[in-house]
This record gives sequence, structure tokens and C-alpha cells, in this order.
Amino acid sequence: MVAAAHLSDAERFPLLTEAGRRLLDHLREHPRGPRFNMRCGDRLTQSLRESVLRYQTNLFGAPPAWRPGEAPPWVHELVERCLARVPIYRRRGGTADDLTSIPPVGRDDLAREPWSFVPDDALLDDLIVYYTSGTHGRPIDVLSHPVAASARIPLYRAALAAHGVELQGGEGRVAIAFVCSQKTTLTWASISSFLGGAGIVKVNLNPSEWRDPADRAAFLDDCAPELLTGDPLSFADLAALPLRMRPKALISSAMHLLPATRAMLEERFRCPVIDVYSTCESGPIAFAKRDGFRVLPNDLYVEVLDKEGHPCAAGERGEIALTGGRNLFFPMLRYRTGDWAALGYEDGTPVLRDLEGRAPLVFAGADGRDVNNIDVTAALRPFAFAQFALHQNADGSLRFRYRGGDVRNEAIASALRELFGDRAIETGPIPPDVWKTIPYSRDAPAA
Amino acid sequence: MSEEGPAIEALTHRLAETPAEFLEKPRALGGRIDVQAVAGDLLFDLGGEVPADRLTPFGGREPRRSALVLIASWLLHDAWFLERKTFAAAAYDFLRSDALDEIVKSVDPRRFVSDPDRREELARLALRALGLRPAGESEPQAADRLATLDTVGRERILRDTRAAQQRVREIQEAMRKKAAEEAASVYGRE
Repeated sequence: MVAAAHLSDAERFPLLTEAGRRLLDHLREHPRGPRFNMRCGDRLTQSLRESVLRYQTNLFGAPPAWRPGEAPPWVHELVERCLARVPIYRRRGGTADDLTSIPPVGRDDLAREPWSFVPDDALLDDLIVYYTSGTHGRPIDVLSHPVAASARIPLYRAALAAHGVELQGGEGRVAIAFVCSQKTTLTWASISSFLGGAGIVKVNLNPSEWRDPADRAAFLDDCAPELLTGDPLSFADLAALPLRMRPKALISSAMHLLPATRAMLEERFRCPVIDVYSTCESGPIAFAKRDGFRVLPNDLYVEVLDKEGHPCAAGERGEIALTGGRNLFFPMLRYRTGDWAALGYEDGTPVLRDLEGRAPLVFAGADGRDVNNIDVTAALRPFAFAQFALHQNADGSLRFRYRGGDVRNEAIASALRELFGDRAIETGPIPPDVWKTIPYSRDAPAA
Repeated sequence: MSEEGPAIEALTHRLAETPAEFLEKPRALGGRIDVQAVAGDLLFDLGGEVPADRLTPFGGREPRRSALVLIASWLLHDAWFLERKTFAAAAYDFLRSDALDEIVKSVDPRRFVSDPDRREELARLALRALGLRPAGESEPQAADRLATLDTVGRERILRDTRAAQQRVREIQEAMRKKAAEEAASVYGRE
């Protein structure tokens, strides 16, 4: 997977300094580095960099807050602009005076016609295209903009600050190592002018991407990143490497981080492990604190909707829908994420509770009882799985697969039996060649 | 609510029989016909008296606009309108209207005499401007029928559609180009 390189480094890194150039060369040509398969930069010019700075100042000055069911004042202006200038919203109608009059959009709309979300007057020079394989089904192209891409850093900083951690950046050091553990993914070394010329690397721990598997620890130790980002699976693989580096924090996203897994990682890396809810369409949305996910950005309005698109009552679970205009090429009005949660409030801050990717799934217990996937997640709390998948067969029997976690199959079966009653339960590890799994699934029950 | 006006067929028939002099070249463009005077006579016969200075715009040198004013004046000189003596103001506004400015941009004025659809469109536009609906039609029926004949609306839709399609092609092209280039980085799993 080698992306064609059409841009020069001058175009990728408009603000690259001499020190930044030296660090970039060092990372790209590191004798123990991986075979990076992509080149990319932050594409920030001076004025775009200032936009990200303004975004950060604004974010730290005014945390997200709104009264239940009452969209913040900036939503009105965004809706008005979208109804006038964005083809898909213009076509579907509604009024800026009432956000609930706007028909929700979703991943299918984005997959079918990403161009319909681009405002009529948006200049296309700074367009970025992300491909997502989509944990929710069909792959989509997300159109984005350099400011929306770099704005993820202030959002990480806000989540880190809540845990007393500061992401400093600066010349000559690596600020972020984005760690994957997949069959294949794009990998690169980059420089962030927003982080003062600090390096950012994305690596894949799959040994086939390295000259020598031992290089993985050597390279990351040499990078000594301030922050590690990844998912529970890549972190579990990382924890098994003989690393000496001491990151300030780990940010985990994209997969369910079980409490026992978090505790294991915190013990191993001796730093906070922060679970962040994030989508490719929106960037970071919320971070875990106590029993819920606190909303991070102050330019994103989060609703929880029922099937008909009506807002759910406080505390009632529904599909998370986002409204926000940070990404110039993909303004969102009630964009259904495919993820589910209940919306609550803590000290005025909106909080997502019982957050789960995908729609709820109800399994059938032995004596006719319903078992909700949320209950299964709760029952799995004591286990330090990096990844898991529960499937119910048509005959009602269960198949549980997991990766990571030092547990005996009998302990898992017993925890599941507590919930399901006397069902046949088969447990075992996820085969090494399987990379993507769906946490919860079931066949249609046999007639 | 609009009032019931004359039958649409009576008006289209009248347009089909527009006398030759109403199709001649206006005086302002070197012909014989004084458009300003024709409009003034019409408005007087409809029960209004319009000061001369308000008629000067009808003496303009825009050939298609002048030709349409002549044809529309003939149409509105129908006995049905004249007898009521109440339509002068609305008729004046109609003859000066943006709707006529727009329609002559895409339709040769002679077609409002020769083409059955354009005859019907002009007759319906005139009735609507006078606050009337064709005899025997409900308001929604009249609006619906006019919409199907709506040259200006159709032109606008075509123009907008062409512009929208062009924009989609531009964005698709930019997506292809950017895909061939590269994406800026996302810094964590999403």
C-alpha cells in the first residue's frame, strides 16, 4: 500500500524549519525505523496555523455547554448557512429556527454523495480526502481540511489537560506516536508546525512491516513520544514489547476499552490511559471520565436521536447525531454516527453514558430472558481483553472470541452464564490472521 | 384569492390572431409603431390615466422587450378586461415586470403568437398579474398548469442543474487529484 507521492515536501510542510527538516529526515531514514509507506504533512500555511491556534484558544476559554434540548446559539447561524449553501441540506429543507426540523443525515448519504456536503462557495484547493474502511459497514470518503485535521491536537490537549498532562511539542522531539496493530495500514513520519515543529509518527506493529521485529521497541524508544495514540488491541501488543520509553499518556480510541485493560496499560506504562470517543467524520467527540464520556469540542452540538430522528429524553439511549461546522468540506447537521449512548449532564457539561458503537443488540437468554449487549459489556469489565467478539448462533448457543487478557476460558464462560443462563458457550482466542471483528452479532433465531 | 377571469382559450385565440401591425418594428428602432402610445392607450382604455413620463420606459430601444409589450398590449385589450375598467394599474406593472424581462431573454417574442404553448404561457402570466385565474379552473389547477409552461422557471432549473452538475464534476475531480496526492495526517484511531 504505497500512496503515490505527488506533492513536494514544501507543499506538505509549508512552514517546515531547518530543524524540522532534520527531524523529518532522521525519522524517515532511521536505521531501525519501519518501512513507511506514505508521505504526508500538515499542509498548514501561516494563516491556517493561526486558525488552529485561535481554535485552541477558544476551546480552552469556553468548554462545551448547553442546556438539555437547547442548541447553543452558534447552531442557528450554521444551519442558516448550510440551508443556503450546502446542496444536500438545501435539498432536504427545514428551518434554522428549529434544529429538529432538519432531517438527519447519515453515513449512507456521505458514502453516496460526499460532494453534496461541500458548500457552493468552498474553494477546493485545500481539500483532503480520508478513506475509512468503516467499522460500521461500507467504506466512505471523508472530505476534510488542514485546519480540521490539526484541530485534533488541541482537542487531545483538552482531554490530556483534564488528566493533568500537557502535550508540549517543540523542535527536535517526537510529540505523538500513533500505534496500530493491523494487517496493513498507511504509515508515515510527519512534522507538526502547530506543535512547534515536533515529529509525529504512525507505525504498524505488525512484524512484517519492519526489517527486524526487535526494531519496533528500539525505534519507539528512540522516538520517546510524549503521547501514544492507538486502540486497546495495538496497546496490548505494545505492552508486550520490551519498551523503556515513558510516555506522558495513552489515548485509546476506536474500540471498547475495558476497565481491566485500562488498568493493565496504566500499570505497564505508568501514565494515564484516556479513552476517547472519536470518529473520522468529526475527530474527537468525548473522553471518558468517571462513568461517562464528557463532550470535548465546543463547536460540536451532540444529540441523541430515536429512529424517527426525534431527540430522546434525557437518560434514554439513542443514536448519537452531530451538528458542527469545523470541517469546511463536511459541515454536519444532525449527522447520525451509527454509535449509541444516552445523553446526560454533569456540572453543565454534556456527557454520553452507556456509549457503544453500533445499534443495541438483544441476545436471547436460556429461559426467555433478554440480554442486552450493554449488560454483556458490563459483565466483561473484570477481564483485560484488548478485543472481543460475542456471537449468538441460530440455535441460541454462544461463541466468544477474545484477544489479550490473561484469563481462563472457564472464567469467561462462567461470567457469561451468569447473564445467559444455561446456554452452550464456546470460548477461545481470536485467530492471529483475523484483524477486524464485530463486538456483538447474532444469527436470526431458528424457527 | 384570485377571481375568475376569462377562459384561457379566448385569450390564446386572441393572441393567435394578433394583427400584423402589433408585430411591426417599434418607432424607437426605426419602425412605424409607437409602443409608448400603444401602452398609454391600453392603460387609458383599462380605466387608468398614466402620466406621460411614466410611459417613457416603453419607448426603449430593446427590440424583444418592445415587441413583447406590443403583443401583451394587444392581449390585454380584450373586451373582458376593458369592460371592468379596474385593471390599469396591474396591467402597467405587468408590462414593466421582471417576469417579461426574463422571459424575452429565452423566448423570441413572435412565438407568443405562433406557438400554442407560449400563447398559453403569456395568457396565464397576464391573468396571474391581474389577480385572475382562468374561467373554470381552481387556483391550484391554474398554478399547476402555469408551472408546466414556465419557460423562465425551466431555464433557471436547467441553468442551476448545469451549474450543480459542473460543481459536482469539479469536486469529484479534486477528490481524484487529492487521492492521488495524499491526505494530511489523522493523529489517532477514529
